[in-house]
Amino acid sequence: MTPFIRSMFVVARRDFLAIVATPTFLLFLLAPLFMVAMGLAGGMGASQLADSARGAGRIVAIADAADVEALRAADRRLRDAFTRGEAPPPLEYRIAGPDAPAPLAITREKGTDTYAVMSGPLESPHIVERNAEGSSGRYLNLLANQVLRDRAAGDVAPAKPRFESIQRGGTSIAVQQSLGFGAVFIIFLLTLLLAGQTVSSLAEEKGNKVIEILAAAVPLESVFLGKLLGMLGVAVLFIAFWMIVAMGGGLIAATQVDPAAIAAAGKAGKATAALASMPATGWPFFLGIGFAYFILSFLLLGAVFLGVGAQAGSVREIQMLSLPITIFQVGMFSLSAAAASAPGSGLAHFAQIFPFSSPLAMAARAATDDAKAVHLLALGWQAIWVALVIFLSVRLFRSGVLSSGSGWKFWRRNKAVLSAAAAAQAASSQSH
Amino acid sequence: MNDFSVEANGLTKYFGNYKAVDHVSLAVPTGSIYGVLGPNGAGKTTSLRMTLGIIDPDEGTSRLLGGQRPQSVRHRIGYLPEERGLYPGMKAREAIAFMGALRGLDWSEGRRRAAGFMTELGLERVIDEKIRKMSKGMAQMIQLIGSIVHAPDLIVLDEPFSGLDPVNQERLEMLVRRERDRGATIIFSTHVMAHAERLCDRIAIIARSARRFEGTVDEARALLPMQVRYTPRTAGDPAAVAANLPAGAELRDDAWHFAIQDADVEPLLARITASGHGVTGLSISRPALHDAFVHIVRQVDAGFDADATEDAVEEASA
Repeated sequence: MTPFIRSMFVVARRDFLAIVATPTFLLFLLAPLFMVAMGLAGGMGASQLADSARGAGRIVAIADAADVEALRAADRRLRDAFTRGEAPPPLEYRIAGPDAPAPLAITREKGTDTYAVMSGPLESPHIVERNAEGSSGRYLNLLANQVLRDRAAGDVAPAKPRFESIQRGGTSIAVQQSLGFGAVFIIFLLTLLLAGQTVSSLAEEKGNKVIEILAAAVPLESVFLGKLLGMLGVAVLFIAFWMIVAMGGGLIAATQVDPAAIAAAGKAGKATAALASMPATGWPFFLGIGFAYFILSFLLLGAVFLGVGAQAGSVREIQMLSLPITIFQVGMFSLSAAAASAPGSGLAHFAQIFPFSSPLAMAARAATDDAKAVHLLALGWQAIWVALVIFLSVRLFRSGVLSSGSGWKFWRRNKAVLSAAAAAQAASSQSH
Repeated sequence: MNDFSVEANGLTKYFGNYKAVDHVSLAVPTGSIYGVLGPNGAGKTTSLRMTLGIIDPDEGTSRLLGGQRPQSVRHRIGYLPEERGLYPGMKAREAIAFMGALRGLDWSEGRRRAAGFMTELGLERVIDEKIRKMSKGMAQMIQLIGSIVHAPDLIVLDEPFSGLDPVNQERLEMLVRRERDRGATIIFSTHVMAHAERLCDRIAIIARSARRFEGTVDEARALLPMQVRYTPRTAGDPAAVAANLPAGAELRDDAWHFAIQDADVEPLLARITASGHGVTGLSISRPALHDAFVHIVRQVDAGFDADATEDAVEEASA
């Protein structure tokens, strides 16, 4: 091991342990739990709201007693074509007669929303509807037509369909693209959550003056890289922890749930469809390269943030920097997401070549394009940029922060220049 | 083979257009203890930082341990910065091992040596204590141990004595001598003359950004004439006594104080003996390093006061 690598690991080890061996880290590690809990609570609330809203609505048909049964049969048949969410609100019946309520009176009944009311003879129904663009009125019209047709046609034997699903092996382009998008999103989310911390990681050393010990003992490049590696270690630990939790949870769930239920769910579930489909490069390669791109995305953005944060003089400045940093990350995400949805386009190529969006965009490419060698090229290209960013950050840090005398603050030098110049001017004007 | 552990030539550093260090050269013989003395803000720290390659000089070069670039011999150097800094969350033993590891020392060996040093310096109570629980002086001793734990060939200590109590100052002096006996070369900066006087083989005095003196402590003291304190036995007419003494002799309490050149000692004794005023007290001594230092710094300051423009710049940037 060269001294450079060794000192890099010394710094990385210190940083990693200093972060992990604190109670705060536990909070950090478990933070997604809050997110999941909140998500679940919110999701349940939302679905309950949707359920209750759906339960509250109805459509009403005022029909002769003789027609009600025909309407009911037609309604049952038509509803078969809809899935649960798309179906019209439940249909209620009122018997037409002298004491039947007027359609408008029905719409004003309390306790439930009435979207449409049909009255009059089926040949010329009078439909009152709340929303002209809504489907409820048209559905009632369709129903009336259906009953009339039934009557005219008499008894017709129902069709005997034979359903067969489209073969799953040949993955559709759309699914591959959404896999690519998923990869972009996951890498982005993880980098957003984890890489932003590097911005403040040199603040500690500047605050407690350890930076001079480090600067004297080892090359600054290895300090920067070591810090980055330490943070990467924390990030990988974080991901590994949640992977294990997720896999453990999945195993427990699999033993608890009846296989038949899974099979039944599998027929309808979109997620299982995506799982059953394949990224263009195959699952093992896709996952592996995805992880590699996460690491490079982390290193690239982390190096930028580390370099920017190293220039900051105070905690306040670092806090101010977090907004542009987040926006920068979101920008890279948008670019890569756009690229993921248009593989092969000029935009996609730009996103794949531009160093800071390259890991995201290339991960997406792995989902849709089965070429593998290009990823090696991309990883190398991104690694060069990591080195370049570190190199530049160190240059800036050396010339800006370290050279500014005893204060170790980069603004001091300029101030000294200004005041010295002002004093010199004052002195010379005095002597005249 | 080179006899100098440090060869810095013409180091110059500008902060803006203020010359913080002006052509400072240092040549430190291998195996010696070397003091860099100077008033506050004279440029000692900046000179040391440039010597060690922590900051790049605008002009001049620094070669260490036999003509090598400072960056290439990092693992053979120990450095205690002027601004002390340790990770407050680290335990003392770990902090020392960490600093050793940065210089290429094995972690476990670093921990072992840390315990040894700490026990020796009376710090065994706090070996596994976190830095943030320690007093400032204790933390400073920890950092000092950390900067020599890897047995470096060149040890650079920036103001090592400031902030230490007399007992710890004594221990530090002991440690410095022992490291020298081990074969290391030691440079330290200070503005407390007593330590330099006791420890240093050679000193450099830096004032107003430039080196104003270089040599042994005795050579520095020889810059000023010897100081005489004379108390006559008979309390006679002061004017009569003064007639035998060099011009400028001052009577304070019962004693006369004046300075004389080396060559004038014997004639003076002859005159005093002959005068018949008698002697109850007579001391002829070299001035302390302190006086030589103040003398040199005042001379430099006087030179600067003549130039008002430069002075204004100096003050504005101070």
